[in-house]
Amino acid sequence: MGNLKEKVDKKKQKRSKKDNNSKFSEKDAMIKKEDERSKVNKPAEKKKRKREKGNNFDGGDAIQTSREDDQTKAEGEKKMNKLRKKKQRSEEQNNALVGKYHQPGSESEVGFNEQKCKSKKTKKKKKEHDTSKEEENKVEKRGETDHGEAYCISSVDEDCSKGLKKWLTDYHQSRPGLKVLQQRLDEFIISHEEKLEQERKEREAQVAEGGWTVVKHHKGRKKTTDSESGITVGSVAPAAVENQMTKKKPKEVGLEFYRFQKREAQRSEIMALRSKFEEDRKRIQQLRAARKFRPY
Amino acid sequence: MGKFNRLKSPSKFLNSNLKVQYANRWTFKVSELINEVQIDHSPAFTKHVNDTVSSIRNSIDKIPDNLVVTGEEAAGFVRDVGADKVEFKFKKPKSIEIGGSYSIKCVVKPDISVDLFIQLPKECFHEKDYLNHRYHAKRFVYLCVISKSLKSDSSFAKVEWSTLQNEARKPVLLVYPADKLAEVPGFFVRIIPTAKSLFNAAKLDLKRNNVRALNQGEISLPTPRYNCSILEDVCLEDNTEFLKKTFLGWKALGEALVLLKVWARQRDFIHSHDGLNGYLIAIILSYLVAHEKVNSSMRPLQIFRVTLDFIANSKLWTRGLFLQKQGEIKILKEDRMLYKQLFPVVLFDSTTHINLTFRINDSGFSELQNEASLTLQCFGKSGDSAFEDIFMTKIDFAAKYDYCVRLNLKGNSEFYSSGYCLDEECWRLYEKKVHSLLSQGLNDRAKSIRVIWRNIPSCCSLENGLSTLDGEPLLAGISLSSLDKAFRVVDIGPDAEKKEEATRFRKFWGEKAELRRFKDGKIAESTVWESEQWMKHLILKRIVEYILLRHLSITKNSIEQTVDQLDFSLLHGVEDPMSFSASLLGAFDVLSKRLRLIEDIPLKVSSVQPLHPAFRFTSVFPPEPHPLASEKGNVPRLHKLTSSCIQPLEVMIQLEGSGNWPMDDVAIEKTKSAFLLKIGESLENSWGMTCTATEDDVDVFQSGYAFRLKILHERGLSLVKREIGSDQGKRVSSADQKLFVHSQHSSMINGLQGVFPIYGPVVRLAKRWVASHMFSACLSEEAIELLVAHLFVKPLPFTVPCSRITGFLRFLRLLAEYDWTFSPLIVDINIDFNASDKKEIHDKFMLTRKGYEESSQNISPAMFLATSYDKASEAWTRLSPNILELKRLVAYARSSANLLTRLVFQDQTESDRWECLFCTPLTNYDAVILLHGDRLPYPQHLLFPSKLNHGRLVARGNASKAFHPFMLPGDLRGSLDKLKNKLLVDFDPLRCYIADLQKECNTLKLWYDSLGGDAVGLTWERSCSKKRDREEASDAEDPIDVLKAVGEAGKGFVKSVHFLKAPRLMN
Repeated sequence: MGNLKEKVDKKKQKRSKKDNNSKFSEKDAMIKKEDERSKVNKPAEKKKRKREKGNNFDGGDAIQTSREDDQTKAEGEKKMNKLRKKKQRSEEQNNALVGKYHQPGSESEVGFNEQKCKSKKTKKKKKEHDTSKEEENKVEKRGETDHGEAYCISSVDEDCSKGLKKWLTDYHQSRPGLKVLQQRLDEFIISHEEKLEQERKEREAQVAEGGWTVVKHHKGRKKTTDSESGITVGSVAPAAVENQMTKKKPKEVGLEFYRFQKREAQRSEIMALRSKFEEDRKRIQQLRAARKFRPY
Repeated sequence: MGKFNRLKSPSKFLNSNLKVQYANRWTFKVSELINEVQIDHSPAFTKHVNDTVSSIRNSIDKIPDNLVVTGEEAAGFVRDVGADKVEFKFKKPKSIEIGGSYSIKCVVKPDISVDLFIQLPKECFHEKDYLNHRYHAKRFVYLCVISKSLKSDSSFAKVEWSTLQNEARKPVLLVYPADKLAEVPGFFVRIIPTAKSLFNAAKLDLKRNNVRALNQGEISLPTPRYNCSILEDVCLEDNTEFLKKTFLGWKALGEALVLLKVWARQRDFIHSHDGLNGYLIAIILSYLVAHEKVNSSMRPLQIFRVTLDFIANSKLWTRGLFLQKQGEIKILKEDRMLYKQLFPVVLFDSTTHINLTFRINDSGFSELQNEASLTLQCFGKSGDSAFEDIFMTKIDFAAKYDYCVRLNLKGNSEFYSSGYCLDEECWRLYEKKVHSLLSQGLNDRAKSIRVIWRNIPSCCSLENGLSTLDGEPLLAGISLSSLDKAFRVVDIGPDAEKKEEATRFRKFWGEKAELRRFKDGKIAESTVWESEQWMKHLILKRIVEYILLRHLSITKNSIEQTVDQLDFSLLHGVEDPMSFSASLLGAFDVLSKRLRLIEDIPLKVSSVQPLHPAFRFTSVFPPEPHPLASEKGNVPRLHKLTSSCIQPLEVMIQLEGSGNWPMDDVAIEKTKSAFLLKIGESLENSWGMTCTATEDDVDVFQSGYAFRLKILHERGLSLVKREIGSDQGKRVSSADQKLFVHSQHSSMINGLQGVFPIYGPVVRLAKRWVASHMFSACLSEEAIELLVAHLFVKPLPFTVPCSRITGFLRFLRLLAEYDWTFSPLIVDINIDFNASDKKEIHDKFMLTRKGYEESSQNISPAMFLATSYDKASEAWTRLSPNILELKRLVAYARSSANLLTRLVFQDQTESDRWECLFCTPLTNYDAVILLHGDRLPYPQHLLFPSKLNHGRLVARGNASKAFHPFMLPGDLRGSLDKLKNKLLVDFDPLRCYIADLQKECNTLKLWYDSLGGDAVGLTWERSCSKKRDREEASDAEDPIDVLKAVGEAGKGFVKSVHFLKAPRLMN
């Protein structure tokens, strides 16, 4: 927490500085800064990138336990600067090792502490990867040549079309205040009612054109508000509604009144049992296929 | 109709069919299980065994006769058991015979071993060698000679020491043959010396003293356990012979034995030295046969049930069991009484010389009986899953007991100060001591306490003495009787007037005991364990620690308790945010009162119901009151770390009924908004509450909390229902329906949480786990609540969990082991499902599994959770997890469950730490986005800052200055209204980011932690068909470019994007 406080304080300082400057100069300075950084950073970043490469080989602290790997690691570190191709290949191997986790649903023990790769498995994976090697090579190459350095996300605080700034703007825009919202709602409801009214009129007009008047039975339940005074006559208790919705139990009496009903019930039950029996057989077959009977 | 003609009596058919069906599945499963665990006595295996035995025989034959052996061979052992006079001349064993479970064809995998009895020759022993551990020493030295010879033989890969039933003074040899047979991996032969007719049984009567060191002056104490230890060897061969006679040629009985062994092995707390073992189970079975409780017409499963019933319920245990029939018993009544006094369980062998169950102690036996009756309950109640509960579920210490305590006694000299072995071994005495301390200290807080010290490691060198046998930790498991009792703050002891008891109480509790005057005027000794509400689960821990430290000479570091090890994941700073719950509920009460009082809206509020998990104690981080979210008044004093975000809590409102509602969905929603705005305005006017709203949500501030109001309109519900009725395929779920389901769920869980107070913490741990492994998108919070609810509603084969760790472990195991593909999980919270409900659920479940035959991927929902309000599992798991996500979830759960189990049994190591349970490996993704931790809305919820040191850094970015999770000091000035506007309600950059990403690129699957993680995992989605793959392969986007765009979209929020694996373009 202390750390955070510090940061907050620092930012405050920075901000106050900036506030002193005029807007124009601020921007200017930013651009300058950016330029400078890109210039200065280039060599430094290259180094960084290389280091990262190294990390690639020894970084997977948990993953690499096989001897073969150590070799690639040594190899990689030695010849990294000389042979780019070899480097690529070793990286690919690395990739293959990681490949164990490629499938999201892999049944293997996941991570934490037992991230030891079985060499057998990796070999298998490697073979799989061979097929897609070329494809990956392409990808890798492109990655290498075109984007030698990590891309830097720019104009963090200016661009309002993306990222945090956008989300904040969206947030503030979505809360224009109760009055505005109320107004919008009113507008919607008025237009909605107009639309309904119009639809009704059109319908009536259509009906009138044909010379017929359609007499409709008015469906729906009784009104719960008195039309004159607007007083609520009967409210629907939520408990009652829930009761109605959840507990529609069939009446128990009368189901087995006649003998034929009884017989039918028995028959249908037998049928149900039979179908269940069949299901059971199927299930057993499935179980047999799945073989889940190992209690250890 | 013709079909039914042959069924003259339908009801008869019905009954028999039912039975057949029930039995059918059982018999199938049982026979499959037996096939799986039993070993095939094939010619190859038999030959392998015979070869190994004969080479052992040859090796022993090579030892020269009359070789003079002295105690020098194993000076340490001889010294530690305290034997004198050990020299003898080596003679060949009188006989070498195969015994044990192999001889009755009941070996059970995975431990495949053959017992080889070596009869010690009489010539090597003197008549009085039963005295003073001479027999034990000679027995060991004799084995040493054999072991030397075996070790020099190249036909054996390994010769190891082990012991008989964890009794250090009775070692046995494990011999691993050099030739391996693929069918039986890890096969070994156990060489067990026997002492047939070496000694006169009368001299080993239980009243006699045979260890003179035990004598105190003139008084000679009897040594019943020592005597039994020798007698066991004397009678071993006879009893094996007896077992053979019973078992050979009776297949069903053998299979029943196998079942019982599997059953016992799954329960490590009764399958132990002071509980059951294979030999004892066989003896009990043969007892039942001898007494005609089991007959030849019974099936294996029936025998199994009869046996368990006998163990659990028979009154005969209190009288002592005899293998012979009633008339043939030749034992005096006084002797019988004496046995009953000395041993909790008495089971005489066929010769009536020895109590075969002499190792079983009180707690072992009562746990055995409890477990047997629990299993019998499983038969009755569990329905379909009974088989899995009984035979397939591992019920170990970690999952069974609520509180596990581990004592590391390595190097502690206290327990053997009076010698390693007298009548009983020092380790067993120490077990008893710890047990009695715990049961006295915990009193009625504990239902049962089990202490087991499996002190002998798998390979040890016994020659050098017994002092090295303390490396393994001692385990104590405590089952709580009830939470009320366990969380009790004051223990009332004896009345002050009862002097004797009071002094005893004082002696036991030391300075913790205080004399108190209680409300009813009573003055009594007592102990007080004051504790805050959210720390009450630690009271028991404190008691255990206090007692053990007071009465045993151990240090605090050597006591490891599991209860609170995961609490770190739920704390907010140093406090559990759950402590704010009371104020939250208070605020809600006030709010609901105010809502009901509102007069100036057309329809009155008729009911108010809380929906957010914080109201039912299942939210991982229930919000703490925010100083800015209170009613108008003074500007509150703001401390420096005032959060700039606030989490809204959903509250559902129902209005009075009215006929004037519009009919279509959109209009209904708009009308609701209008109502809510009016409500908000009214609250603002009459109570000075602040209201803020968007087009969809209306939030009001009160007493430091933000409440989000929702209206349930019943008619909306029925509208949707009709639509579903007409068209099954099209599932429309309107806002109303979602709300309705939420409210049903909420009230159900609320009820459950009232019954089981520990439910909340378990859910919170489970939610934290799911989120911290970035499964937030896969498993909804409500689904987690239901999964945990299942553990409480249907606890069998366990009892209801009473600690968060135990509950959490069972949750992980449920997730990992449940057969999600083929079974629905029915969470019957109010226990009101009848047969037809179940059938309905089952039918619905089968509908979802129809596609399975075509392709195993074609299952939706992959996780079928049926509840009374949602029988078709549409509410929470309809869309996620899908089958692949579920697989991943299961794999993670399994691995976490294993880790958690290990942590209960062993000390933490570098790679196994409690923190690891919530620390997800980032290597399992194709790409990873790291976020700026200090731009998360609640940085204090982040458990561990993520680090990634491999993969390629693709993009990086700085943090935006536009947003800070805490109010900046500059912002704190100004009027309250202004400040309130700065408070962001429900602003979550991560959620916005995820939404943007999902809109932008569909080739990526996102894994994230909605509870405040600072990493997002990405995996490439696999394209649907191969054909399209090829076409797209050429013009597919460059993954690097995709990732850059991903970084761009999270401008100001994303720290870095790392690339680990390229998408697999071809299959």
